[in-house]
Amino acid sequence: MVEQAATLDAEDVGAQEADAGARAELLNESEFQDLYRLNARPLWAYLYRLTGNAADADDLLQEAFCRMLAAPLAVRDEGELRAYLFRVATNAATDLWRRGGRGKRREEPLTDATAGPAQDRGNAALKQDMARTFRDLKPQERMMLWLAHVEGTGHREIAEALGVKAASVPVLLFRARRKLAGLLRKKGYGPGERS
Amino acid sequence: MTFHACSHEPDILVAASGGRELSAAFEAHLASCPSCREQVDAVTFLRGLADTPDAPHQLPDPAVIWWKAQLLRRWQAERTAAAPIERMRWVELAAGFASLAVFLAWQWEGLVGLVANVIPAGIAAASAAPRSISPMAVVLLAGATASIGALVLTALHRRLGSS
Repeated sequence: MVEQAATLDAEDVGAQEADAGARAELLNESEFQDLYRLNARPLWAYLYRLTGNAADADDLLQEAFCRMLAAPLAVRDEGELRAYLFRVATNAATDLWRRGGRGKRREEPLTDATAGPAQDRGNAALKQDMARTFRDLKPQERMMLWLAHVEGTGHREIAEALGVKAASVPVLLFRARRKLAGLLRKKGYGPGERS
Repeated sequence: MTFHACSHEPDILVAASGGRELSAAFEAHLASCPSCREQVDAVTFLRGLADTPDAPHQLPDPAVIWWKAQLLRRWQAERTAAAPIERMRWVELAAGFASLAVFLAWQWEGLVGLVANVIPAGIAAASAAPRSISPMAVVLLAGATASIGALVLTALHRRLGSS
C-alpha cells in the first residue's frame, strides 16, 4: 500500500501545489476525517464501477486521499473539496490504466449479501448484468457518464479531470450516452422496456 | 458519428439526471424523438446503476490513510530538501574533472618530462632503441589513468549518493 502511495511523483505534487495557490494549506486530521466520512462511500462506488474490482477500488481510494493530503489545498468548501477529490481519484484511475493495471485483477461478480435465500436471484443477475453493461464502455466514457449524471459534475470540471477540452465534453457525453443506449438495446433494455 | 443533439435534450437530461418525473410535454416529445429517448434511456440506466446498493464492503481505515499520507509527505519533503545536495554532487564531480583537464593542459610538458625521467635507465635501455617515450604513449597512459579514476569516482559517487 505504501508502495503504491509512493508512486506519487514530485511533478504531481508540484502541479497540485501550483493549482492550490499561495494561501493553500494542508488538511488537518479532523478535516480529513470529515471529508472521508462524507465522501469515501460514494467515491468507492464510483471507483468500483470504473474498475469492477473491490481491491482496485480500495487502492485507488487510498491513493486519491493520500494525494489530496500530500498537497496544500486552497479550497475548503465541501462541494469543491468533493469535486477535487473525484478529480484526483479520476487521475489516479487513469494512471492505473496507463500503467496497464487493468486486467491484472479480474473483475469480481457482484454479490448481494443483503439478498435473502428466498429473494430472487433474478435481481442479483440483473444488477450484475447492469454492471457488466456499464463496463462494456471505455474507461473515459464510464468516468464521464458517472461524473456527469451521478455526481452532477459540471462540464468544466469533467474536462479538467479527464484532460479534455471543455467544449468537447458535451459532444463526448452525447456519444457516450448514445453508445450506452446502443448497448442497452442489444441487451434488451431498450426503449419500451424503460421503467 | 456526428453530433446532432435535439434542442430539447438539455432540459430533458436535466430532468432525467435529477431523477424527476418527466412532464407530459417531455414525455410527448420523447415519444417522437428517438435521439432524446436514447439519451434519457442512458441517463435512467445510470441512475438505476448508482442506486443499486453495492455489496457490503469494509472501506479502508481512515487512520491508516492519514498515517500513509504523513509518511508520503515526509518522504516528499526529504526528497525536496535533498535535491540541492544531489545536484551539488554532480557539480562537484564535473568541477573535479574540469580541474584535472586544466591541470593536464597546463603542466603537460612537465608531466611528459617527469614520466620520461621516472622510467629507470635500465628499462629504457632494454627497450629496443634508445628513443624517448612517444607523446602518443603518454596520452594513452594519461587517458587510461583518467578513465580508471573517473570510474572509481563515479562508483564512489553512486555509493555516497545511495547511502
